[in-house]
Amino acid sequence: MDAALPFFQWMGALPMSQYFLSTVWSTPIVQVIHLVAIATFVGSVLIVDMRLLGVGLTETPLPKLARSAEPWLIGAFIVLLITGLPQLTSTALKQYYSPFFWWKMEAMLLALILMVTVRRRMTRTDEADLGPFWPKVVGITSIALWSAVIIGARLIGLL
Amino acid sequence: MPFQALFEWMNELPSSIALRQSLNAYPILLTLHVVSMAAFGGLIALLDLRLVGIGYQSVPVSKITERVFPWMFVGFFVSIVTGFLLAYSKPMTYFPNFYFWVKNGLMILAGLNAGLFHLTTEQSVKEWENDLVTPPAARFAGIASLVMWAGIIITGRMIAYSALVPQWWVDFTAN
Repeated sequence: MDAALPFFQWMGALPMSQYFLSTVWSTPIVQVIHLVAIATFVGSVLIVDMRLLGVGLTETPLPKLARSAEPWLIGAFIVLLITGLPQLTSTALKQYYSPFFWWKMEAMLLALILMVTVRRRMTRTDEADLGPFWPKVVGITSIALWSAVIIGARLIGLL
Repeated sequence: MPFQALFEWMNELPSSIALRQSLNAYPILLTLHVVSMAAFGGLIALLDLRLVGIGYQSVPVSKITERVFPWMFVGFFVSIVTGFLLAYSKPMTYFPNFYFWVKNGLMILAGLNAGLFHLTTEQSVKEWENDLVTPPAARFAGIASLVMWAGIIITGRMIAYSALVPQWWVDFTAN
């Protein structure tokens, strides 16, 4: 990851980062919005993953449920990106040297790849064609990966 | 102040001291608290959005309360237990904390709102649960719940910012 160090140094030196750190309320305000968005995001992921696992809203057709969840999923993710960015740039070197930051980003990359490929196709397919096995694999993998993202995120600030 | 003796007593209990001195207990509890909060908060928001009538209209209300409630409760239970243990491990850190008390107050209000909804509006859920526009009482309960739970998450995070509190609280705790 040595090649990324200059990039992180550049982020930390941005006027935006300096301004962000110089104000008392910027960090907590952005953090609380980030956290509320996490709950919204997780709810819209979890309800579909639970459905894939065969629990929860099993009487609602999968494509219908996934479509209902989608605006909240995308909306919350955009808020997470917007509120995550200043937290990343203002503490760029802390993030760079934290193993949990890289853990979080790797888990998020895998979770997003799963979401926009296999999981997306699955939630748009007639369930009769899916069989009993693969939806469960995708559901549990999605839950595990997003849990790993949150665990890594929380530990950046602690350890 | 009320409760002070209770918190001072907890602070001296061997199990509180052991938890406080453990290197791993706090990060593990806090991480579990956040993961379970996200699961619980996310699922309750789903129900609230349906009650307000701005989301998940494809799902009847009673299906959410019947089929998702047990899972909400799992998240809630883990959040409550880990949250209690976090406070229990450092009673005298939490006791003077402004946001800790606001959060507790909001949780009581959220509980009352949920209980009231259950005893009144929810009794007739079968009559309106498929409506795209839900009854005013259901919308009110949903909005109140969204605001309160968002407030609980916000004040929960703000516990870490014990210096960013109103001046009257600083004066109040100094006495």
